[in-house]
Amino acid sequence: MEALTGALGGILAAIGLSTLLFVGANRLFDLIVDRWRLYMGVLGLLAGGSFFAILAGNRVLDGSSLRWVGIGALLFAGMAVLPDLVSDRRLRFVVGVLAGLSVGSVVARVVDASVRPTASPKDLVLAVGIAVAAYLAVALLRGQLRPGSLLVVVAFAWVVGTWLLGEVGGGSATAMAVAVLVPFTLVGAALGSGEQRSRVRRYDLQRKTRVGAFLGPAMFFVAMGLVIPLVRTIYLSLHGSKGKIWVGLKNYGEVLTNKKSLDLEDWTDIFGSRLTHLGVALLIFGLVAGLLIGRRRGRLLEPTTSSIGPVSVGTLLLMFAVFASLRGTVINNLWWVIVVTLLSTVLGLAAAILADQARFESLAKSLIFMPMAISFVGAGIIWRFMYIARPPQKPQTGLFNAIWVGLGTMAPSGAGQVTVVAILSGVTALLVGLGIFGIRRRQPGITIGSAFVALPILWLLYRFLGPGLGGVETGPLGDPIGKPILFVQEAPFNNVWLMVVLIWIQTGFAMVILSAAIKAVPVDLIEAARVDGATSGQVFFHVTLPTIVPTISVIVTTLIVLVMKVFDIVRVMTNGNFGTQVIANEMWQRTFTEFNLGLGSALAVVLFIAVVPVMGLNIRRMQRAGV
Amino acid sequence: MTVTTESRSVTAGSVDRVGRVVYGFLRALPTWILWLLVFVWSVPSGSLFLNSFRPRDAQRAHGWWASIGKEGWTFDNYLDVLESGRQTGGLAIATVNSFAIAIPATVIPIAIAAMAAYAFAWIPFKGREWLFILTVSLLALPNQVALLPLLQLFAGGAHWTVPGTGTVVTLFPDLSLAGSATAVWLTHTSFALPFAIFLLHNYISALPRELFEAARIDGADHFTIFWRLVVPLSVPALAAFTIFQFLWTWNDYLVALTMLGANGSAYPATIKIASMSGEFGRLEHLLSAGAFVQAGVPLVVFFTLQRFFVRGLLAGSVKS
Repeated sequence: MEALTGALGGILAAIGLSTLLFVGANRLFDLIVDRWRLYMGVLGLLAGGSFFAILAGNRVLDGSSLRWVGIGALLFAGMAVLPDLVSDRRLRFVVGVLAGLSVGSVVARVVDASVRPTASPKDLVLAVGIAVAAYLAVALLRGQLRPGSLLVVVAFAWVVGTWLLGEVGGGSATAMAVAVLVPFTLVGAALGSGEQRSRVRRYDLQRKTRVGAFLGPAMFFVAMGLVIPLVRTIYLSLHGSKGKIWVGLKNYGEVLTNKKSLDLEDWTDIFGSRLTHLGVALLIFGLVAGLLIGRRRGRLLEPTTSSIGPVSVGTLLLMFAVFASLRGTVINNLWWVIVVTLLSTVLGLAAAILADQARFESLAKSLIFMPMAISFVGAGIIWRFMYIARPPQKPQTGLFNAIWVGLGTMAPSGAGQVTVVAILSGVTALLVGLGIFGIRRRQPGITIGSAFVALPILWLLYRFLGPGLGGVETGPLGDPIGKPILFVQEAPFNNVWLMVVLIWIQTGFAMVILSAAIKAVPVDLIEAARVDGATSGQVFFHVTLPTIVPTISVIVTTLIVLVMKVFDIVRVMTNGNFGTQVIANEMWQRTFTEFNLGLGSALAVVLFIAVVPVMGLNIRRMQRAGV
Repeated sequence: MTVTTESRSVTAGSVDRVGRVVYGFLRALPTWILWLLVFVWSVPSGSLFLNSFRPRDAQRAHGWWASIGKEGWTFDNYLDVLESGRQTGGLAIATVNSFAIAIPATVIPIAIAAMAAYAFAWIPFKGREWLFILTVSLLALPNQVALLPLLQLFAGGAHWTVPGTGTVVTLFPDLSLAGSATAVWLTHTSFALPFAIFLLHNYISALPRELFEAARIDGADHFTIFWRLVVPLSVPALAAFTIFQFLWTWNDYLVALTMLGANGSAYPATIKIASMSGEFGRLEHLLSAGAFVQAGVPLVVFFTLQRFFVRGLLAGSVKS
């Protein structure tokens, strides 16, 4: 409860203070146009009050700090307002200089002797020189030079040169006088320089301050929390583990040459893998189907379900074969990005299409979308329970292994096996019927599609009738013992089982957005295609899909960015063990458990570099949309 | 479809009929596949939900399906996981901590982002488009890049040693925020702003121009327009972002873990259940109840306010 009340108090204080600041700043800027003197006076009060408050807070003023704050506020307000009471140009300047001089001498007298600076003229000249040169350069670029601004810049540089570059303490009274009087006189002169501000210039100033009031807080947080940290991380990545010694690109070299992050040694395994063979077979099947149907329609290759399906599944299998043979953190990350992005988008698209205009559409979509509300940590736990593998002698408590072992230990010719075989045979018969129907109707698409679906079912039938399917091994007495799959521990496919968790979450995201995009496809377009005799497959590939391509690209880029930094799921489920390490978790471990700041930062920068293309794409997209 | 079997042999006709039956079944197949998908998608959370009501021994002995239709379902796991102690989860305190993190981390960025979005949409100034694109492009920045520098900033402030002199200039004071919820809010605020500004700007910039011109003619300044016109009109967008950000901060693990460090008393529920899942065995039987306690709030928010959430997602990814 204490934490909550503390937080609530904090929120109220933060909101109250920010509202006060925001409203106050806006009210203050309201004064600029019509009540310039009051505006300057209030500004002077605030500046003087805070300046003396800082002095009193640092114990360089004797006596009650409240009194000093009052005095300071009045002094500064006077300095700010006095020059504006005079209209003559030369007199204004004199009044400004005198006001600055007198405020400066008050400050020089009252401030404690212990903080008198000893500045070297060399530092002073250096600071002022650099500042003036910088100001002149900026002024030249913008094409306007204001003497008042130049005076303020010199005053600021003077303060930096005496107080920051010099040594504080041990100086003489003269040094103190020089250090204080010069900047105050300069500021006073700046306030008194030039004409009184015209209305136009005051309007201009008001607009600028208003932008500052609205944009200031956001820019502060963006700079403090994102831009500056990014620069600092890049800086740290070029330094050693303590962040002090310059090492150049050594950390990056370690990230990329380390066996743990990139291991391509077993690349020849790709060709021996069964996945490769199956993938190539499917690719050929799909291409042949595309050619066959394409010849009938007068095209080289026809994109339909029965050609695109096998081709994409084949490509997916080939990709799995490649990634399963290579190892390392970077490879794992790449694998994650490709598989999760691809499958989430495809499954989301499928769900969106299937749910479109179905009964209870919103209920179905809610249930698929629901994992989006669950945290990555929670999802990791949910799936760990699905993946539990227990010793073979004990009953399996994880659903997947219970099914797997259950299938394996099914008694031959038992009720279970007979049921499964009967169902599979029935489905095969239906598919054969459908294939013949397709031939008679001269729609080879249907025949090829049913043959494609029949292949895995025939394979299943063969396994159930012959060698059996499922986790089983022969025990010492010749009795069957369940052999569970170690989903989480067994490399390299444990990576895929972890990816399933993120796919489970992100499919809903893709589905919701794609569903909205599909509903936005003009009905006339689809009707026209139907009237022209297009099948639903053709409508999808030639009308719906081209229309929603921009949305798909948005989803894909969003997912790439999200998957790239996957952390929680891996940390909760394996913590990077068993060959499942990813860059974000590696980065966290290097930085926050080993305190190797350089290496950790280099890993973070690698993540950043990986999303730079996506950032560029987003910028181009926004520019085209014309913000 | 009329049946014309006269010119065909009997077998061919029956094959045709079977094909048509199958074809009819196939037409209904999308619905079947959809509900199969829904079922598969619900099984993991459903299994865990059922599991959370089973006592420790039953959880260890067999899967949840073996308990269906039997005695022994219990609420004890939930009571145990909420209570603090060595053999329990302590999730009650962690849930309070989650609120203490998620509420400020939602409220603060909204206020700041709404102001910035208004400025970007309706106050013309030099370099506006450029600054907006720069800000929003940070949306894709991986948070990992900013974590360490932010932690260092909160833990010790920012200091700069002037080269050659040895003088240390303090750029940001040491507020000793590391390990406090405040550090988590501030981090979430920074991380949320690009998306929040993008989302709210999309909405606010689409408000009709005449509205602003009329208000301007009536003598309203930017402050009045923002407060009296933009905020009330943007309630749908503000609601969408509120839900989005609340779910995001409630479910966050990385930022809290980094910023809170070893300060266990401030841990939110995500860290608590993650560490419970790390200690294999001892609290395993409470884990499923714990996961549902943590997910309870977002699920309620999700199912009651789904409309706004979806709207926020759509506004964030599809520019109308």
